[in-house]
Amino acid sequence: MIPLEKIPFAGTVPSPQTENEGMITGNWRTRRPILDVDKCTDCRICWISCPDSCINVSDTAPLTFNLKYCKGCGICNEVCPVGAISLVPELDFED
Amino acid sequence: MGVKKRISGCVATANAVKLADVDVICSYPIRPYTGIMSELARMVADGELDAEFVHGEGEHGQLSVVYGASAAGARTFTGSSGVGVTYAMEVYSPISGERLPVQMAIADRTLDPPGDFGSEQTDALCCRDQGWIQGWAATPQEALDNTLMYYRIGEDPRVLLPQYACQDGYFVSHILGEVDIPDAAQVKEFLPPYKNHHVLDPRKPQIIGAQMEPKMGPGMQYQRYLAIEGARKVIEEVHEEFGQIFGRKYAPWVEEFMTDDAEVAIFMQGGHSTTCKTVVKRLRNLGEKVGLVRLRTFRPFPTEQVREALSKFKAVGVVDNSVNFGISGGAGVLLTEARTALYGLGDKVSTVGFVGGLGGEMITHEEFYKMFQILKEVAKAGKAERQSYWLPYEL
Amino acid sequence: MLEEIKSIKKAPIEEYYVPGHRTCAGCGPALQYRLVAKAAGPNTIFIGPTGCMYVANTSYSCGPWAVPWIHAQITNGGAVASGIEAAYKAMIRKHKTDAEFPNIIVMAGDGGSADIGIQALSAAFYRGHNILFIAYDNESYANTGIQTSPTTPYGAWTTFTPAGPVVPEGKKLMPKDLPKIMAHGHPELKYLATASLAYPLDLMNKVRKGLNAQGPAFLYVHAPCPKGWSFPADKTVEIGKLAVETGMFQLYELVDGEYKLTYKPREFRPVAEYIKLQGRFSHLKPEHIEKLQQFANGRLQEVGIEVSVPVQ
Repeated sequence: MIPLEKIPFAGTVPSPQTENEGMITGNWRTRRPILDVDKCTDCRICWISCPDSCINVSDTAPLTFNLKYCKGCGICNEVCPVGAISLVPELDFED
Repeated sequence: MGVKKRISGCVATANAVKLADVDVICSYPIRPYTGIMSELARMVADGELDAEFVHGEGEHGQLSVVYGASAAGARTFTGSSGVGVTYAMEVYSPISGERLPVQMAIADRTLDPPGDFGSEQTDALCCRDQGWIQGWAATPQEALDNTLMYYRIGEDPRVLLPQYACQDGYFVSHILGEVDIPDAAQVKEFLPPYKNHHVLDPRKPQIIGAQMEPKMGPGMQYQRYLAIEGARKVIEEVHEEFGQIFGRKYAPWVEEFMTDDAEVAIFMQGGHSTTCKTVVKRLRNLGEKVGLVRLRTFRPFPTEQVREALSKFKAVGVVDNSVNFGISGGAGVLLTEARTALYGLGDKVSTVGFVGGLGGEMITHEEFYKMFQILKEVAKAGKAERQSYWLPYEL
Repeated sequence: MLEEIKSIKKAPIEEYYVPGHRTCAGCGPALQYRLVAKAAGPNTIFIGPTGCMYVANTSYSCGPWAVPWIHAQITNGGAVASGIEAAYKAMIRKHKTDAEFPNIIVMAGDGGSADIGIQALSAAFYRGHNILFIAYDNESYANTGIQTSPTTPYGAWTTFTPAGPVVPEGKKLMPKDLPKIMAHGHPELKYLATASLAYPLDLMNKVRKGLNAQGPAFLYVHAPCPKGWSFPADKTVEIGKLAVETGMFQLYELVDGEYKLTYKPREFRPVAEYIKLQGRFSHLKPEHIEKLQQFANGRLQEVGIEVSVPVQ
């Protein structure tokens, strides 16, 4: 039984600001994207093509992947024009 | 102070909507409630009311428009009759479940078939489980007053529920009555601006209506149940306040008419009660101990107050002005609800159901006389031979 | 007024559709939602009629929008948006709020825009509300497990149009052309365009143009669906590109009553190249594929492209 105070009033919840922890999806992955920094030209096509907003870009550092949410769909690997992203089986990693 | 005019229920409702300074109105034509919208359109065009008058594409669209408008923080108004009311059915639960205090005027009308423009309470009664405040006005004055009271009740932060302000089609919506139209200052004192905490505002972003998982279901529904039950207290407070400010004190639950020392009574809601009152007066002049109990608020149903009012009599005739085919007891909704209220009193009060006024026909004086005759016999016998009568065929 | 985004690198960094939603890996509609939210910015209210972009995004009791969002029925996205728009107009005019008028964006699937939602959409546009209505087309009722909708292409397998000996093509009917329905006969229409998630810069700029239009704006977005169309999750963008390259989806804007093409390949590729990558078309015979080629040619002709691609 969910206590009444925990039921959102009128089915209304505050909007998230940077991530929606109500649905963490990183554990869906069977393959993890890995960046080859030397090949990357920072064109950002992968960033704009990620349905889950899971690529973090910056003007000062190489891009990183948000592994808490990344589903491993592989679109980034497909769209990268220089093949800088590869997909490695998730089971190869300790974490 | 107020202005006295002789106007119809439709025009009276429009005047109340104007006094409530509604922000968004969504119209769609269907008899007999259309007169409310035409009057509001005139008020907007003449500069008497500043509101967005949106021409809905249908009744489902009307309710959807006011759902959005209320969620954005506006005070809203819409209405319908007959099959229009049932066409919008999908949207009623989302509105009450998301606690948006929209008001819908229903000038009731038969559903198809017969689909004639006459009055039946069936259309509005189809919505009785949707979690809205609901009640019938029996006069144009009451239509105006209910409109104002319902906004106050529905928008109260302890309630936050939408309301069906019902009135009998034609009998109340079109026949003229004396109406005291309050002035804006009185209404301002009675009805504060609409403020809701869960609104669509980019400055404070919220997600309204996310899908809930099954385990949240019981709690969500229970919350709504608590809201409509909690409205009882607010309904009483608001009626008291209304009486103080406007000088018209309505009984919040049941209006008792000549019930002191009555042995039998009619229990009903809506405009046909006016006919019944005439018959009660005449029978009283002839020495008959009869009375009328008129239900003013149908949802939340005042179980305790109805039991208290009806337990005084030996026999009660419940008049249902609706079709509820196949229902327990063979009459209509009010019969079953009255009987539930009387449950526990055993055989103390006999109840008989009368289904009348269908198709928009009058319930005639003669029919009321016959009903009281039957009730007298039931009171004498101590029980009812027959549970229900469909007027006029079975009377 | 929202400015044109000149390049991907100049696109706003801020996300208003944040990570954390139960959409399929590689979900086309999710990608376009993210791009729309990015282009629209923080002063936005989304209306979400029932569909994948409601159910998959709000499971459970949460959502990925950093801006206000409200659920609508699948039937009434246009109507709910109209109500919000009217409310803000009234409240601002009557000084009942000091908020600025927001972007009001409906995000409806093909069902909620071309089928059960078309009445509310058309009425909102007839009335001239200042809203942006986005129809994201994944060519089926996807959320309920892939059933046919009026935009499902001829020959596509869905659970309501399975292929079998009695119906060898699966879906027999040609799809509705929703942008054309919206383009003609709504006098208050201010902006209309088609877009695709495979052309993200174009999509975002069309969103901004729609929002800048200060009246009813309609955007029809092609959103390939890996689950419904049976292709691997990483091919979503590629399928989107192929749709445009073969003419199965046309990119254009309505400007002064004329169709202005956004992108026209030098040579159109045969429709067969698009079809063979999707499992939903795997049952098609050459005669069915030819019909689809004719369909694509016909749609291209309607927007002013004369083309004749031989069937492969």
